[in-house]
Amino acid sequence: MKKSSLKMIATVGTLLTLALALAGCGNNDTAANEGESSAQSKENKTLTVYSAGPDGLAANVQQAFEEKTGMKVEMFQGTTGKILSRLEAEKTNPVADVVVLASVASMDGMKEADQLQSYKDAENADKINSDWSDAEGYYYGYSASALGIAYNTKNAKTVPSEWSDLAKAEWKDKINIPDPSLSGSAVDFIYGYTEAEKTGWDIIQSWKTNGLQVNGANKEALDSVITGDKDATISGVDYMAYKAKADGEPVEIVYPKSGTVVSPRAVGIMKDAKNVDGAQAYVNFLLSDEGQKLVTDAYLLPGNKEIPVKDRAALDEIPQLTVNWKDAETKQIDILTKFNEIFQ
Amino acid sequence: MIMEGRRTFGVLLAIVGTFAIAPLLAILYYTFVNGGQLDFSQISRMFENDRMWHTLGNSLLLGVLVIMGTTIIALPMALIRTKTSLIKFDWLDIILTIPFMTPPYIGSMGWILFMQNNGFLQQLIPSASWMSDYFFSLFGMVMVMSLHLFPFLYLMLRNTLLRINGSFLDAALIFGRNPWRNWAKIVLPLLVSSYVLGILLIFIKTLAEFGTPATFGSRIGFQVFTTEIHSYLSRWPVDISMATSLSLFLLSVCLIIWYFQNLIGRKNTYSVLSGKTQAVREMKDKWYIKLGAWLYVGIVLLFSIGIPYFSIIVTSLQKVRGDGLSAGNFSLASYQAVFTSGSAGLSAFLNSIVFSFITASVTAVIGLFIALYIKKGETKKQQVLDFFSLMPNIIPGIVFVVGLIMFWNSPLLPATIYNTKTMVVVTYCVLFLPYSVQYTKSSLSQLDQSIFQSAAIFGRSSWDVYRHIFIPLLMQGILAGMMMTFIISMRELVAGLLILPPSVETGATFIYSQFEQGNVGLGMAVAVITVAMTVIFMFLLDWLQKRGGHAGA
Repeated sequence: MKKSSLKMIATVGTLLTLALALAGCGNNDTAANEGESSAQSKENKTLTVYSAGPDGLAANVQQAFEEKTGMKVEMFQGTTGKILSRLEAEKTNPVADVVVLASVASMDGMKEADQLQSYKDAENADKINSDWSDAEGYYYGYSASALGIAYNTKNAKTVPSEWSDLAKAEWKDKINIPDPSLSGSAVDFIYGYTEAEKTGWDIIQSWKTNGLQVNGANKEALDSVITGDKDATISGVDYMAYKAKADGEPVEIVYPKSGTVVSPRAVGIMKDAKNVDGAQAYVNFLLSDEGQKLVTDAYLLPGNKEIPVKDRAALDEIPQLTVNWKDAETKQIDILTKFNEIFQ
Repeated sequence: MIMEGRRTFGVLLAIVGTFAIAPLLAILYYTFVNGGQLDFSQISRMFENDRMWHTLGNSLLLGVLVIMGTTIIALPMALIRTKTSLIKFDWLDIILTIPFMTPPYIGSMGWILFMQNNGFLQQLIPSASWMSDYFFSLFGMVMVMSLHLFPFLYLMLRNTLLRINGSFLDAALIFGRNPWRNWAKIVLPLLVSSYVLGILLIFIKTLAEFGTPATFGSRIGFQVFTTEIHSYLSRWPVDISMATSLSLFLLSVCLIIWYFQNLIGRKNTYSVLSGKTQAVREMKDKWYIKLGAWLYVGIVLLFSIGIPYFSIIVTSLQKVRGDGLSAGNFSLASYQAVFTSGSAGLSAFLNSIVFSFITASVTAVIGLFIALYIKKGETKKQQVLDFFSLMPNIIPGIVFVVGLIMFWNSPLLPATIYNTKTMVVVTYCVLFLPYSVQYTKSSLSQLDQSIFQSAAIFGRSSWDVYRHIFIPLLMQGILAGMMMTFIISMRELVAGLLILPPSVETGATFIYSQFEQGNVGLGMAVAVITVAMTVIFMFLLDWLQKRGGHAGA
């Protein structure tokens, strides 16, 4: 009995050691990095960034910034909602230095709630689109996405050209929209669209009658168009559609001529930031030509108009609705409630 | 002996108290205290909210329907596996637990991709498109959840039936009348108590489930408690006090159900465990029974494993997802991307392994001490500890996670583990401690009383007794508990979503975020790797148990 139970222990032990060794191998680099950073931390400290940026962009910015400054970045990625909730939960015990959100309205809300600090002297600040940024330097709109109609080129019978087209019979049960309570850009869209268009809510109602499905976060909504479950996504974020198109998926995006909403994404420094120098360096990097280049590589619109866009429509080619982002946050909560009432 | 002193009780209770009870108290505190004052407005705000009652209705309805669904699948399966010649095929049990070990959000994604408009089913059989409309409804959700949870009920029923098979039926054959009467008078009453126990646990598990409601439920607009709590915590506008109120309410519902389960359990327990080993009789079936049985097993396996895994594997292999199932559209690129050194997927997967391994080890040690202290739960103190250590099994994980976040962010604490990797391990340990306690307790209960007595007489010191006698004898149970904890930690989603520190991802959150923002094919590849590893571990676990059985005999 003793022998076999010993054998058993040995086998399990070996297996688990193997698993751990495997894990150890993969984690070697990170372990080494951690060691380095703790050695440096006395001079440089680490920088904690909460970013709602697209996955690839946030990682690229992080890597380039670390290489440039030698500072270690702790990155938390999530949707705008997740980041706001994390900040709320951590209120008594704040960790984040820099926050990057996919919604200027929420960013403005944070400024109003006295959670941000101003950084007026950011490098390149004058080149960044002033419509997307705070005049007092609390946040900068370093990039933006335009919201359009993303459709499946194999399944859609016609190319939609207006928002109202999607209420037609040929789109019956074939359309979806990202859930505005999950997607900052979808709230921006509904807010901007209903503010600028008097008939906005009637059109939304007509989509609902035509079988509009509210479908998770941005990517989930676009995914059901890619796999052919739906034919078109309303308020589809364009950079995701361009990215999918570049990967060979049968997707195309159009911006209706009557105009659409451009949803800026902004970066700001937390009031309680522990590493203010690092945070300012991060903002400077995002606004620099190098940072803006990374933004365009992710198919987003750059905050600095001088930087050329890549394989996509430039800002002045997109018909825009005029939207005022000041104090939008409180109005957006009403909009969200109204939207949820229609779709429940 | 060292495991009986007052100090031991104090230490164990302190550990369980800090990690499992404090979070629940934190929920109470945040719900009822506002700015240092007792305040009932939060809770009344919740009760005034129509949406809350709607959610409650949805959760309870779902629970009842899933009970029906799992019964329809599990009961015939248990009968087939005990009353027909299929009793020989023990490997079926491992295969049948695969659905339960599959992370539920991946299973339901598999179903969605298979059934949706232009999904894999319609590509294979274009005329089957009418099925999609019926599938994306409450019916489909209940089916997906039942197919995920049925192994749990099945194993309980099968074990009871196996025990009844032995001496009870022999006695009935000799003294009873006809087979049907034997069934109605003996088998059914014996089966009922374990059935009731099983379905109540299924009910609680359904209430606690997050993955399927988050993927399938959100698609058909079916909100339940867990998704509501999660959305108050992660959607804009954030409402933390609403989340704690809802958590408290869900906690109460589960405790009430658990109370009823205890009540029923106590009334209807018959001792069906005797020391004798049951002889497996050779069974000969008529051909149509055999055919029917295999057909049934085949259909259940097709629906619970075949279809979801078909979608998952195909998606992980697709080059262009918009091209569907066409020749030349397949490559191993996603797997290559995962196994590239330093890739996000790989490091997330390895993080999972490390967290799960540490969790398994820590819970094994704590579980061992708790089990040794509780023994058979005869004194009040033992029962108290027993209750607290098994509590995480009754209370939905999301409630604990919310509590842990509140507790470790409390300004009263001098230091906090929040936002560190330790927090992840602590959360996992709290959630999964019951597994190790249960496994160790059950192997302890199999030890004969005489071992304790002879140990007490001949043992040099009590520590020697533990080291040389109990721990080696219990090793098999401890290891089984460790494996189980490891497997379950590997697939934990909701804890990871809410508490992971910056720059850290686990396999589960990586997969989930691929659906939200990233590359679905990559997510599915990580899912396939995780499940493959889990299945290998399960076969290993089974092998260990069998070996342990021989060694112990």
